[in-house]
Amino acid sequence: MEKRNNNVKAFISFDKVSKSFGATNALINCSVDFELGKIHSLVGENGAGKSTLGKLILGIYKLDSGAISIDGIPASFSSPTEAVKLGLVGISQELSLLPDRTVIDNIAMGRETTFGPFVSSNKTKEQVLKVMDKYDLHVDPEKIVGMLSVADQQKVEILRALNTNARLIVFDEPTARLAGHQVEQLHSLVRSLAKSGKAVIYISHYLEEILAISDTITLLRNGQKVRTESASNETRDSLIEGMTGRDVGSLFPEISKIDPTKEVLLKVNKLCRNNEFQDISFEIKKGEILGIAGLVGSGRSELALTIYGDRLPDSGSIEFCGNKVGLKGISDSVKLGMAIVPESRRDQGLMLERSLLENTSLPYLKRFASWFYGINKSQERKEVIDSCVETMVKHGGIEKEVQFLSGGNQQKVLFARAAMGKPKLLIADEPTRGVDIGSKQVIYELISQLSKVGEAVLLISSEVEEIIGIAHRTLVMSKGKVVAELSGSELKKSTIMEAAFKQ
Amino acid sequence: MNKALEFSKKHGIAIITIVIFILLAITTEGFFTERNLRNIIDQQSTILIAASFMTIVIISGNFDISVSAIFVVSPLFTLFVENATGNLFLGVLAGISIGLCMGAFNAIVVTYFKVNSFIATLATSFMFFGLGYLISDRSLMRPAGEAYQQIARTKIFDITSAAWLSLIIVIIASILLTRTRFGRNVFATGGNQEAARLAGINVARVQATAFILLGGAAALAGIVSSSRSISAQPSDDFSFVFAVLTAVIVGGTSIAGGKGAIWRTVAAAFFLAFMSNGFNLNQVDPLWQRIILGLVIVIAVAIDSWSQRRNV
Repeated sequence: MEKRNNNVKAFISFDKVSKSFGATNALINCSVDFELGKIHSLVGENGAGKSTLGKLILGIYKLDSGAISIDGIPASFSSPTEAVKLGLVGISQELSLLPDRTVIDNIAMGRETTFGPFVSSNKTKEQVLKVMDKYDLHVDPEKIVGMLSVADQQKVEILRALNTNARLIVFDEPTARLAGHQVEQLHSLVRSLAKSGKAVIYISHYLEEILAISDTITLLRNGQKVRTESASNETRDSLIEGMTGRDVGSLFPEISKIDPTKEVLLKVNKLCRNNEFQDISFEIKKGEILGIAGLVGSGRSELALTIYGDRLPDSGSIEFCGNKVGLKGISDSVKLGMAIVPESRRDQGLMLERSLLENTSLPYLKRFASWFYGINKSQERKEVIDSCVETMVKHGGIEKEVQFLSGGNQQKVLFARAAMGKPKLLIADEPTRGVDIGSKQVIYELISQLSKVGEAVLLISSEVEEIIGIAHRTLVMSKGKVVAELSGSELKKSTIMEAAFKQ
Repeated sequence: MNKALEFSKKHGIAIITIVIFILLAITTEGFFTERNLRNIIDQQSTILIAASFMTIVIISGNFDISVSAIFVVSPLFTLFVENATGNLFLGVLAGISIGLCMGAFNAIVVTYFKVNSFIATLATSFMFFGLGYLISDRSLMRPAGEAYQQIARTKIFDITSAAWLSLIIVIIASILLTRTRFGRNVFATGGNQEAARLAGINVARVQATAFILLGGAAALAGIVSSSRSISAQPSDDFSFVFAVLTAVIVGGTSIAGGKGAIWRTVAAAFFLAFMSNGFNLNQVDPLWQRIILGLVIVIAVAIDSWSQRRNV
């Protein structure tokens, strides 16, 4: 066993670790050290290996070769249970809580204080409260977890990790589902965890976040380590360059001006839906990209789904190309020329275990189907391939299941699907969430192309930069109401955020 | 090497079926004879008829326990109408129709009232079984005419009409599932219901259609079976649906929905049939047959779930 030079005490070190899935090398000869009391970020595009590294630490994957040592002692563990015993815990993007149980039950899960075979609920509660006090992190202990906000649910998950005496906590895209001010709260919490001596591994796509929070940054590209640097030596540009291996000019494409004389495509008038949004009125012209900003839970997605015909409004009207929408449901909206890229590609967008072909052509099968002959597969294949080329989906064959594609490419499949309909209006809800920079660029390019050929885009996003970068005009929503309409020079981060937080 | 592994993963159940076929053909006297094989095909016909459409229901994300009840009730109603009118065609039409109606009833409970399909069809099973006693006045029913037994027993090219019927149904179900828009929508609905809905698919209609078709298929299976025994009898017997489900699940169609194929169900039905035939020919004690059968099902399903698991 080689001796480490011990001026810095690495808590856990990876030595020439490799991991592959079938033919893809997810991680190649990677050596990284993680220290206690430090926030160490992993940065890279989708498929660069950051999540793989995280999952190796948590015992979810087994390594193919190389060695892991903890406190200088070689460690081998091959299941999450063993990893938890060693003090290695993860907070994942998709929360893993029991939604029907209380906060206490969730935090204490598997570590309840027992009296013989019985759980002592008082002692268990005491212990949970002690942990809450120790880290000054409070959630109402009797509440049912499913009723909590995403941010609070995340706190519950962190408390659970702390309750197991975790020494290292892996945060994998923890802010993907959080709104702006919640992100701040999470960050200060992460910092205080590090201060109390935990090792923190932080994985995120948001470079600003990474730069703001990290002590150390490790850059990964195509499964290989590019470098490990102190965060103070990195900038946004240096990170992008390191991640992509090339100089990335501006992320956003040129957006063509809209012609004010163009006809109105969508007209929303005094739209209300109980508890979701009230009194929403706006218009979109052909070729216009209308951004909708606002916090998660401000009613943006509900509004989008109502316009798409998924649910009926309580009052008000939606007029699309001169037709009333919403009375006959989604299939009618699709026929009229709407398409959607929904908020969550896993839950609302894709059939992960079905092929790229089936996923792409799904809403438009009628075009290839006749009563007698069934589906004309060759015609379908041709159009799907064309659409995938157009939207730059990188794939290993359209018969392959979409679960094997990277997140960015899965998202592009949704654009390919929309493109097959040649829609007049595209509703894109968080189109770049959890997507690497390369794919982001492609998606922005696609949206700007749509606008150029006269299609309208309703762009809903939590990323203010994105809205500023490509929207012609922006509505800011807060608590179900439109609180501001901004365009041109008013489109600034500060004005949007100010409006979004207005009560 | 990799390709071979891939192939065996995908076609595992077919390979096992062929292997057991060859094994039995070599080792067991009386297995690989025309008569024996014809018998097996004939015996499997009722299960295949129902299992083809059960596969579709399961892929669409639901479950149907009431297949047994429909299997029992439909021939009773067929004979009831046949006895009353003397017209066999009318009787069969009535029998299939009541099957379709029972399927529609399941569909309404599951898709409109959103009751979990397992619970819903368990409950409707009891209703349907009760209906069977009502129709038959709690007694055995026999056909009035001679023609009834010809439904299952007519021989065409030495193969029974029951077997031909099952072949036709399997082909129809396969075409529906793999070549039509309905089939694609079934996969999409079972794969991710929310995503299917947002893509503009009428999810409730897809699931309802699957239930109704299965009702019709279960009715046909019931009629074929009673035609074979030239009688029908009311009962509370759930065993038919378990035989059907065993074939579908051993075939590797995912209970979670969204994944599966009819050829898999067919292969599994024959795998199970070959096995029990092999037991009988080798005079294995029925007591041991059950234990071994159960074990083989567990092993088959375990191998299948292992081979379909993602490479982690």
